[in-house]
Amino acid sequence: MGEKRFMKGNEAIAEAAVRGGCRFFAGYPITPQNEIPEYLSWRLPEVGGDFVQGESEVASINMVYGAAAMGTRAMTSSSSPGISLKAEGISYLAAAMLPALIVNVSRGGPGLGSIQPAQSDYLQATKALGHGGFHTLVFAPNTVQEAVDIVYESWEYAERDRNPVFVLIDGCLGNIMEEVDLPEMKEIKPEDLPEWCLSRRNGRDWQGNITPIYTEPILEGLNMMAGEMYKQWEEEDVRVEEFMLDDAEYVVIAYGMASRVAKEAVIKLREEGHKLGLIRPITLYPFPKNSIRNLDYSRVKGIIDIEMTIPAQMRDDIELQVMGRCPVYEYGRSGGCLLDDDGVYEAIKEVITGGAE
Amino acid sequence: MKESFVFSGSGGQGIMSAGITLAHTAIDMNKHATYLPEYGPEQRGGSAKCTVVISGDKIISPLPKQCDNLIVMNEQAYAKFGEDVRKGGILLLNSSRIKEEVKRDDVTVIAAPVDDIALELGNVKAANIVLLGILIGATDIVSREVLVLSLEEKFKSKKPEILDMNIKALDRGIEIGKKYK
Amino acid sequence: MAVYKRPTSIADAPSGYCPGCLHSLATKLVAQAIEELGQADNSLNIISVGCSGLNILYWSGDFLSTAHGRAPAAATGAKRANPERLVFTYQGDGDLAAIGLAEIMSAANRGENFTVIFANNQTYGMTGGQMAPTTLIGQKSTTSIYGRDPKTTGYPLRMCEIISTLEAPRFVARYALNSPKGIMDAKKGIKKAFEMQLAGKGFTFIELLTNCPTNWHMTPLQTLDYMNTNTIPYFKPGIYKDTEENA
Repeated sequence: MGEKRFMKGNEAIAEAAVRGGCRFFAGYPITPQNEIPEYLSWRLPEVGGDFVQGESEVASINMVYGAAAMGTRAMTSSSSPGISLKAEGISYLAAAMLPALIVNVSRGGPGLGSIQPAQSDYLQATKALGHGGFHTLVFAPNTVQEAVDIVYESWEYAERDRNPVFVLIDGCLGNIMEEVDLPEMKEIKPEDLPEWCLSRRNGRDWQGNITPIYTEPILEGLNMMAGEMYKQWEEEDVRVEEFMLDDAEYVVIAYGMASRVAKEAVIKLREEGHKLGLIRPITLYPFPKNSIRNLDYSRVKGIIDIEMTIPAQMRDDIELQVMGRCPVYEYGRSGGCLLDDDGVYEAIKEVITGGAE
Repeated sequence: MKESFVFSGSGGQGIMSAGITLAHTAIDMNKHATYLPEYGPEQRGGSAKCTVVISGDKIISPLPKQCDNLIVMNEQAYAKFGEDVRKGGILLLNSSRIKEEVKRDDVTVIAAPVDDIALELGNVKAANIVLLGILIGATDIVSREVLVLSLEEKFKSKKPEILDMNIKALDRGIEIGKKYK
Repeated sequence: MAVYKRPTSIADAPSGYCPGCLHSLATKLVAQAIEELGQADNSLNIISVGCSGLNILYWSGDFLSTAHGRAPAAATGAKRANPERLVFTYQGDGDLAAIGLAEIMSAANRGENFTVIFANNQTYGMTGGQMAPTTLIGQKSTTSIYGRDPKTTGYPLRMCEIISTLEAPRFVARYALNSPKGIMDAKKGIKKAFEMQLAGKGFTFIELLTNCPTNWHMTPLQTLDYMNTNTIPYFKPGIYKDTEENA
């Protein structure tokens, strides 16, 4: 039975995490995600969990590493520059095969950038969240409700894979208030703790050890297993929203908050008689390759990539599936300047009525 | 039908609180709403702005370029956002603080001394509620009754006089707003 | 009759530490203290990076291996997630006093209820003998070939002295492992720290002065003398803080 509330994205994410079984959070203040740690600082103790304000992002992700090793559902959140600092720890989580949730409420970059929303961390999230060539599932919800639903089930994925899960939203979704249906509190019993965890030794006759360092053949073997897992994700875990593609002559591709602005424009242009459709990747990794690869390119005249970053970052992933069968256009705003309805509408219209490069 | 509102001014003028109250009230009336604050690095006295979108249908984009109703609480905000209201929309100004002449003739301009009205009622802090009253009077976006329930919830931990004053502020606003309906 | 035997937390395998290295002795003392407290099944070794990290090969109890300098952060998460376990970090001086300075100071300042075993051999052993934050003035290393010069590299960090200035830590002590007395005292100190942790008292910190025959370019015996004449005068053994003393 759900519970309807009007909530800020960041707070809703925090509450969804608690209801999804999160019992440990460590993080460091950074705008625009502060409501997540602020909320969890009082909420986790209410449910017997623990909150630590770390001395840095680096320390915080390693606190998560320690708690996750005990089988506790653990998470951290940050915003772009802080995620760079967590890169070390995220790589170690992947190496040590530890489940955890990491949320990036992203802002303008590079560098300290701006504190306003941006989607400039796509490449970091999907290609290299840290050194060593690993991947995580990367979810990019576009409403507070979808963020809640994804966060709520993220440990199911993380524990299934023994791998961290990454949720990428921008500061806009983190700070917007929307209606949300909160899911029920999951009961996590001590006997549900994963078998590999270090929570208890008694009654276990084998040595428990968790390590991010291995001898070469073992490391190679683990990397091969990870490779298989990523392939499996492509088959089973891709999530995508496809909107009005059946007769579309132009296809807009956008994720997260940008996809909402793009969808509004698609609907408006449809009303004006233009044959437009939308593909919204919900998982950025694995990327919804088939949705783009299998478009009917005898009909589709162009793809328009809309992102809240300049230059567009998802474009390479799109082009790899289009394979030159139609032109790919891009439009975006960057640095913390937001996309808006009119801007996106005009940009798409310019492409479909000719004239845009 | 989708209706957008931008509240702007400086920190401490109740900008964010007005936006949240309006959005909450819309939700209580089984409409859909989004509230998006725009935050700056300053904790006090910086510019404050929020965007509220209200609709009978699920809201797709919460990021209109130009809003239908622009509420401006001071001159700096007017200089910055004055053009952000669409043609045919409502530009609601706090004339207690904005003395500048409005250059636009393609919008309905409502200039009301909301600070003075609130002061007269007892506290300048109620200026934002006068604004909400004007909006209700002029647009019917939410009903007075449901908004009063939101106010009751909002001020339930305060002295009853505070709620009374805010309801008075609301009604003074509604009177003004009605003239522009 | 007491039987001297290998503690169960040490793997039944030859040590890969260099001949004469006191790391193996330090590890053994920790393992003995754990065994004597009946905590072999309950202990969790949070292993760091450096020669201390070789414990992943020799430690047969549960362990969690962590990133360089981050052991106190990982231990914070682990201990809070499961307060019943006896949690300790085992860290070298590069790990603890350079890259992990923020983590050790903050964990100590929060009064986290775990124990830190800090092996101080004044060098980066595993990477080949570079200058450490604890390298003595004039002591040679591969990155200070004429000896550590305080004009450009500052002075060796005395971690016990620094940590004992904080309010939260409960027991802070330094022992030198180059003499039988030092070894016996160290064992007592380690046990005391573990007992305090098991009683939920808070943060405990044990510094063990060790050596590095390989990178100091000395015989093991020469290192013990060097410790007497150089290390111990700068890093004075002793109990720097003990909140139990007047309790």
